[in-house]
Amino acid sequence: MAAQALSVRAVRATIRRRTSLLRLTLASLRVIGKDPLGAVGLVLVVMFVAMALAAPLIAPFGPFDVVYHADKSVVRLSVPTLTNWLGTTNQGMDVYSQLLWGSRVALTVGILSAIGSVVIGTLVGLFSGYYGGWLDEVLMRITDVAFGIPFLPFALIVISITTPSLTVVILLVIFFLWRTTARVIRSQVLSLRERPFVWAARAAGTHEVKILFYHIAPNVLPLSFLYMAIGVSAGVFLEAALSFLGFGDPHVVSWGSMLNGAFNAGAMRNAWWWVLPPGLCLSLLVTSSFMITRAYEEMINPRLRDI
Amino acid sequence: MGGLRRYILRRLVTLVFVVLCLLTIMFALFKLLPGDPTAIFVDNNFSLEMIDRTRHAWGLDAPWYVQYGRYMLNMLSFDFGTSFFQVAPVKGIVAEKLANTCAMMLPALFLSVILGTVIGAVAGWKRGSAFESGTIITFLFLRSAPSFFVGIMMLMVFSYQLHWLPSGGMVSPGSAGAFWDMVLSLDFLKHLILPTLVVFSREVTGPALLLRSSMLEVKGSDFLDVLRAKGLPPAAIIVHATRNALLPLVTYVAVTTGFIFQGQVVLEIIFAWPGVGRELVTALNDLDYPVAQAAFYLMALTILFLNFIADVLYGLVDPRITYH
Repeated sequence: MAAQALSVRAVRATIRRRTSLLRLTLASLRVIGKDPLGAVGLVLVVMFVAMALAAPLIAPFGPFDVVYHADKSVVRLSVPTLTNWLGTTNQGMDVYSQLLWGSRVALTVGILSAIGSVVIGTLVGLFSGYYGGWLDEVLMRITDVAFGIPFLPFALIVISITTPSLTVVILLVIFFLWRTTARVIRSQVLSLRERPFVWAARAAGTHEVKILFYHIAPNVLPLSFLYMAIGVSAGVFLEAALSFLGFGDPHVVSWGSMLNGAFNAGAMRNAWWWVLPPGLCLSLLVTSSFMITRAYEEMINPRLRDI
Repeated sequence: MGGLRRYILRRLVTLVFVVLCLLTIMFALFKLLPGDPTAIFVDNNFSLEMIDRTRHAWGLDAPWYVQYGRYMLNMLSFDFGTSFFQVAPVKGIVAEKLANTCAMMLPALFLSVILGTVIGAVAGWKRGSAFESGTIITFLFLRSAPSFFVGIMMLMVFSYQLHWLPSGGMVSPGSAGAFWDMVLSLDFLKHLILPTLVVFSREVTGPALLLRSSMLEVKGSDFLDVLRAKGLPPAAIIVHATRNALLPLVTYVAVTTGFIFQGQVVLEIIFAWPGVGRELVTALNDLDYPVAQAAFYLMALTILFLNFIADVLYGLVDPRITYH
């Protein structure tokens, strides 16, 4: 009897260890760090996070501050100098400061939309796959419709009908991203629910909801994590694309809106310092999250390691 | 075969369902617009009676379900009404822009698939070579670079610094003519190079990476040993292997075409290409809603149709797949 109680406790401990999100995160980071590309990606992302957090402290100017000469004239399209490290825009705003402030927008949109879409997608996938029947039918038809909507055109229309704001952008990105996660998680749950450990749990009289969240959910978490990582880079990219088209939040400066300003002012012709910094930062952030995703994917899908 | 037919039928029903839902969403969205469409059209000097007459002429005084029914019928029969701004039938405007978008997209896509397949097949066959690892690293980077920044960089270098290529448009100003005359002109080709390069640099990676991994799977198959035993030269064996590795590519191409189609908006803005995506942005800025709606609807239809084709082809190409 005592031995049995002990083994039950051991099993519970294992389950608890597996479900601990913090542990999962740390273990994932360790594996990603072992992959050379993954390590580079991690370092870059940490740098961008530090940049976003420190922006209010280290940015010499506010995002919309106009820089003036001693004689009160505006410093327009200045090349990089000691006061304006990356020069100024045609309206006399400091490019270096805008770049720092822009990283906050990029990361906010990326992280919030990734979390939101993965939570919705995972829940839809879990319920749809586990319960099946009419619930599955309804949820999957909704997913079909979501897949039929082209993101950029739809987002442009919605934004032009509502007022453009960061919230609308984030909601739109979530709306675009959840559908893939839902389908992938669902197919995973379809195979998981036939496994012996689920039958065992059911035979032991475990409540259905508990089986779903306690026994099945931990097994799809690594996949959800993968889609979260993909979601961050997709969110960053989509926000930049919308802002570049002039449909972003006009009250904040993002890398996309900087590129929009530069493009409309024809800065590609004469002001490289205005075009390159936001473009390079955007590429670096998207690429580095892509490298992390890649390393992580190899971890949870060992088949990729050989091929 | 009965299974396949049922599967196609099921997909067709889903397709119609999705289109109907999409149109309903559009109807609801445009109903949510502040004010009604006459607001842009009607001047302050209009008398109340004139406003009523306009509303009546446009059918805006009918109950919403009548408007909904008319809307659905019009959209399904591709009758998009008249542009607020250009005072011309929307159908003609959008059809022309759609052709322009295809003129930009299809050559790039064609190049990407052909070259991507060849590169991917060779990389997969020469597993572990410097060529393979070089290709993978380069392509992974190309894949994650945001295409609109790549486009801006190309413009900066080739157009503004080197002055080799034009900075935008489909043809030089003043030389626009009939569609096919224009598309077959040298001037058009010059304008096409930069956008094609941008799309190619990204889209070549998909088929290449896909073909490489499916090639690795095919490489271990027994039928290749049979070919080798028959004494076929290595080049012929690669061709046989590639043919079998091509299966996943078929679906991929159809799905990707749909996907590039919606991402095209940004490139059309950068290269001032008069395509359907740019038309959508212009129409939204001008509050020209009939055009915006039609542009969106046609883009969505194209994507849905391509995805449908992808699913059907998937069933036709690989006889090993069974349907339930």
